[in-house]
Amino acid sequence: MLSYILRRIVATLPVMAIVALFVFSLLYIAPGDPAVVIAGDQASPEDVERIRQSLGLDRPFLIQFGSWVWRILHGDLGTSIFTNLPVSTMIGQRLGPTLSLMVVTLLLTIVIAVPLGVLAAWKAGSLIDRVIMGFAVFGFSLPVFVVGYMLAYVFALQLEWLPVQGYTPLAAGFWPWLENLILPAVALGCVYIALIARITRATMLEVLQQDYIRTARAKGLGQGGILFIHALKNAAVPIVTVIGIGIALLIGGAVVTESVFAIPGLGRLTIDAILRRDYPVIQGIVLLFSFVYVLVNLMIDVTYTIVDPRIRY
Amino acid sequence: MSEELLRIEDLHVSFSTRRGMVEAVRGVTLDVEAGEMLGLVGESGSGKSVTGFATTRLLDTAGRVTAGKILFRGQDVTKLRGDDLRHLQGAAMSMIFQNPRAALNPIRAIGSQIADAILTHKRISKGAARAEALDLLRAVQIREPEARMNAYPHELSGGMCQRVMIAIAISCNPALLIADEPTTGLDVTTQKVVMDLLADIAAARGMATILITHDLGLAARYCRRIAVMERGRIVEEANPKTLFSTPQHAYTKRLVAASPTATSRIEDLVTEEERERQATFVSKPRPELAHGTPPLLEVRKLAKRFDQGAAAVADFSMTMAGGESVGLVGESGSGKSTTSRMICRLIDPSEGEIVFDGQSIGHVASRDFHRSRFRKDIQMVFQDPNESLNPRFTAFDCIAHPLTRLDGMRGGDALRKRVEECAERVGLPLDLLPRFPHQLSGGQKARVGIARAIACRPRLLVLDEPTAALDVSVQAVVLQLLDRLRRENDIALLFVSHDLNVVRMLCDRTIVLRNGGIVEQGESRALFDNPKTDYTRKLVEAIPHIETGPLLAAAL
Repeated sequence: MLSYILRRIVATLPVMAIVALFVFSLLYIAPGDPAVVIAGDQASPEDVERIRQSLGLDRPFLIQFGSWVWRILHGDLGTSIFTNLPVSTMIGQRLGPTLSLMVVTLLLTIVIAVPLGVLAAWKAGSLIDRVIMGFAVFGFSLPVFVVGYMLAYVFALQLEWLPVQGYTPLAAGFWPWLENLILPAVALGCVYIALIARITRATMLEVLQQDYIRTARAKGLGQGGILFIHALKNAAVPIVTVIGIGIALLIGGAVVTESVFAIPGLGRLTIDAILRRDYPVIQGIVLLFSFVYVLVNLMIDVTYTIVDPRIRY
Repeated sequence: MSEELLRIEDLHVSFSTRRGMVEAVRGVTLDVEAGEMLGLVGESGSGKSVTGFATTRLLDTAGRVTAGKILFRGQDVTKLRGDDLRHLQGAAMSMIFQNPRAALNPIRAIGSQIADAILTHKRISKGAARAEALDLLRAVQIREPEARMNAYPHELSGGMCQRVMIAIAISCNPALLIADEPTTGLDVTTQKVVMDLLADIAAARGMATILITHDLGLAARYCRRIAVMERGRIVEEANPKTLFSTPQHAYTKRLVAASPTATSRIEDLVTEEERERQATFVSKPRPELAHGTPPLLEVRKLAKRFDQGAAAVADFSMTMAGGESVGLVGESGSGKSTTSRMICRLIDPSEGEIVFDGQSIGHVASRDFHRSRFRKDIQMVFQDPNESLNPRFTAFDCIAHPLTRLDGMRGGDALRKRVEECAERVGLPLDLLPRFPHQLSGGQKARVGIARAIACRPRLLVLDEPTAALDVSVQAVVLQLLDRLRRENDIALLFVSHDLNVVRMLCDRTIVLRNGGIVEQGESRALFDNPKTDYTRKLVEAIPHIETGPLLAAAL
């Protein structure tokens, strides 16, 4: 098992290298001379030249790439053109809110979606099944910002149960932290709850047809034992896969959600950096997200081997 | 007479389908006494399994008992709910199924699966349950039971999986065990071992057993009483001897005739009345082979190794003449399917030569063989007609496909005529051609598979267990069809099967394989009547025949 994980980590290195190359090329893929773009409209030719030299843009591409990678390997993501702060510091400041939002959303999604899917599969064809699946279609169809504003209007403005927007760090206490995250997490999670509930229902339906479920019934096992011990674990591989894909999608969704609920996270930082053409920051964020995604994939693959003893690498 | 354990009274079971309600069981009345083994015999669709599932309350949600009673120790099973039902299931009454590997949870260790059943019904600790599970593994004679406790189903053979299922079924000492086709799909030798074990356990524990099977021979060997089911009704009930010597009902007569025995010939597999119609072609004698004719197929020192493991097949040599039929028999894992796939060029041999009609074809890579001119000449019929037909192709498309690919035929009247001709040759009614596989019966699908294989007029037909998934009456018809094709069209048949009765009837010569090597070969009847090796003798003795059977002899 350990050697498998090690081998998988080694295998992610080329992936990360290719990602790094793409991220670095961003600067060149974007239209126009990067130095001119960075310098802005009012810059004099001298300013442009100064920026070009300070960024090392006058050197050959591969050398620039090499030294950029070298610095990253030493933990240096560069310096923001706009704020002159190190990119790693800026990301560090914004990581907490985004991470909190994603973790709460993910937990909420799994805790709601999987039991709903199991229930729908168990009662397939019944009214409960139809209500759950109807809700799933609803969750699919509504964009995050619509759900977000609706939730904020009802629960924050009308009922005044939860704050409208903002963020409180975990250090300030668990409830103040959570209370700010509930509405954004529900808004962001809607699509994933719908998606994962549907996948859970579909895989569970298939598993419940299998002969070994009949065996479990023949043994006299109760409904709970059949559904959760025998069926759900067999249905786990596709569900885990979709949860993994969900995490990747969540990154994109977080950007929108943070704007709606004014959460000072990486999503806001990304938008700001793009608007200011702050390339080092954009590169740093994209690199971080790619790294997280590769890591999530690795975790999913390891989960497969834990869930299903037939999978051996 | 011992006491009555189970009494089924006028049971009706219906299934709701898209096309409305379908009655699967229509008025079954049956008694089972404590400790007896009753055979419930019938072909697919006869309602025998549905009767079993209704008794153990394991019917699909679409199935419902619409009338009748199932009295188990005087209590109506059909009315039980909740906890009462769970005390019955697995404890007082249990069931084992066909396809044991699928019946076990693939991701739970077998020890836990047995312990599950114990913990459901007994208030004991997990450790005690595991200890009991270990004892059960010993009782079903699994070697190294301690190590096997943590094994997963995919690490065990089919026979071992069925023993684990038996262990689960007997874990709470049930009074009644329903065994639904418990050995279908297992090797004959494994079948005998598993059935002997089941009979011993049932006898030792005084457990009544209902053996649901399509195999009359198997039921005859192990049961003192057999009930024959047809289309949801029990048509006849008698002891095996009476049933086979003087069957009363027309259906039983047909079933008895279609069941191959140690001496039956292909033409015997139908009842007297049916034989009249078919007498015309059977009488045509086989042409004697002229001496010195070059063989159609010659295989020399064929070997196959998968990855770096041991050889699946080693040093296999044989020759076949045109129009000859050769049987390839052996237990699963003996390499018979691997050999047949190499010969029909679906996989590449590691070593050795395959010469067809004087030309070496062994070196042509299997993925390029479809371009060889011999692809037309060597065709195959696969084991499961349900799985080997494309569900999106109509019967017509299935038969037409090789003609367009290999014979270069374009659509239109010529193609239609050829397809219809093939369908006629295999006895497939032409109005079935536009149907999709799921709209055809098992026998009809088997015919489509054979029609597809003979469409390009091959000279060698490789058949991999072509009748294993079929009912005996359908098997009889398919065997007659194959024999007729061989006689009329001079097609050589390489017949891979674990069913020695069938091989004996259909094949001139038989090759016995074990662990990838040839153990014995020779003229079929001589080989089976006087096997020279212990292995062949074991195979032959394991076949359940209708006439023989020590248990039966003791019973009468």
